[in-house]
Amino acid sequence: MPQPDNGDFSAKLRRLVETVDVANVLTEPLSSSIKSLLTVSAAQIDCDEASVLIRDGDGGDLRFLIAIGRVADQLLNLRVPAGKGIAGFVLSSGQPMAIADAGEDETFYAEVDKETGYSTQTILATPLRHGDDVIGVLEYINRRGEPPFAPFTPEEMDRAATFAGAIASLVNAYQSAKLFRDLGENILSADDPDAVSIRAWLTNVRDSAEHREMMDLAVLIREVASRGDAERNLAREILESVIRFSEKGEATTFLG
Amino acid sequence: MNIDEAEFLSTMSGGFRPTKDWASCTGKGVTVAIIDSGIDTSHPELADRVVASVEARSDGKRVVFDPSDAGDSAGHGTACAGIISRIAPDAKFSSIKVLGAGGLGDGYAFLGGLEYAIKERYKVINLSLGTTKPQFFSPLHDLLDRAYQASCIVVAAANNLPQPSFPSVFSSSLISVIKSEMTDPMKFGFHFGEVIELTAPGVNVRAPWPGGGHRSLTGNSFACPHIAGIIALLLEKDPNLTPFHVKSALYSIASSNSQ
Repeated sequence: MPQPDNGDFSAKLRRLVETVDVANVLTEPLSSSIKSLLTVSAAQIDCDEASVLIRDGDGGDLRFLIAIGRVADQLLNLRVPAGKGIAGFVLSSGQPMAIADAGEDETFYAEVDKETGYSTQTILATPLRHGDDVIGVLEYINRRGEPPFAPFTPEEMDRAATFAGAIASLVNAYQSAKLFRDLGENILSADDPDAVSIRAWLTNVRDSAEHREMMDLAVLIREVASRGDAERNLAREILESVIRFSEKGEATTFLG
Repeated sequence: MNIDEAEFLSTMSGGFRPTKDWASCTGKGVTVAIIDSGIDTSHPELADRVVASVEARSDGKRVVFDPSDAGDSAGHGTACAGIISRIAPDAKFSSIKVLGAGGLGDGYAFLGGLEYAIKERYKVINLSLGTTKPQFFSPLHDLLDRAYQASCIVVAAANNLPQPSFPSVFSSSLISVIKSEMTDPMKFGFHFGEVIELTAPGVNVRAPWPGGGHRSLTGNSFACPHIAGIIALLLEKDPNLTPFHVKSALYSIASSNSQ
């Protein structure tokens, strides 16, 4: 594990750990919340298989962010090319759509089914809107029970739209936090000679007890910050005092 | 000011009323423009029916349209064409692809597609699309006025979500449609005074799908082409109908349907 043998290295490491940890504190509960809400909504729509797809890049591609059901893990590795399939259409049109007999012919869902071994028969897809933008697609696949599955109804389409609003808010927050995390990781540029060793250190430290303590600390800071301006200012003053104190001596255990 | 429905009906007496034989027409001589995800021209139900096919492309700040044989990777446009085809089996189609890969699908492509259809003076324009973005309100409003003045009859699907979308809420200059669970396309409804006036089948509608198959589809998108198909029948009977005439005729037919 590299040691903080100079001030520049320590500063980089500190910025990285601070940024990535705070971002992780933000993203992990959000993805968990999206999954919980997806599960609740699927139950309301009489279905066990559901997924959240998000826009991936500027070209209109989609990727599975969260999925529940029998082939959830396999779906997470799949992407939907721009404009393809029901999800692609819903993303570009911003309109929900319900479809039956989805696996009947050789189109996108037949390809997905081939990959996963699943049999898609009915789909309800609705856009995830944040403001005026469509940021992803919420999909429900097949009704509970045995095939042939009854088609999704207009009432279920309306219900899905209600859940889509809440899920879209969470997805948007998740994406903002992820941007923050990506920014943190990009603090280390590719041509930085310290990058390799710092990334290796980061990989190790994420599993360490110290890291978990730092995560706890970050959670506490976030909790305090959310209580109001006075609490936030007090926390900042205390932390700045600790930093000033630690900078005076060799007892900087934060990075060790 | 609220307009009394009975009073409105009385003013219709001097206006256009379709003769009953419109229902036996087939849409011959009528070309319907479909602004959508393209049309699968190889589908058996649509073979030799698509007489023109273009695709939107961004050219700097402009949207231009190139001839296209890209077909339909999403299925939506093919389904809309198939629904019209069943009602008007001799109507032809012009596919104006604004949804799909390569960055298609933004509001500018959609606007460009509508402008293209109006410039080409397609008599019936099926628009199973819309936008909720406020920046498109005014340009769409202008385009719909141009369509009205050019005697292009625009049929638009209402938003499936509980918020207004444009242009379906511009009820004075176009014909907007919302889905119902009815199954007979000839028995469509007209709700005078509602923002979205027409109702047509839009729940589990069996329609052609790319690859030669069929799907059962639900959404306002699939109610809209039912009305576009009915208009194709009316236009075969009288090709000079204006948007106002057509709306009056639809109202008249729907009133008969409800009796």
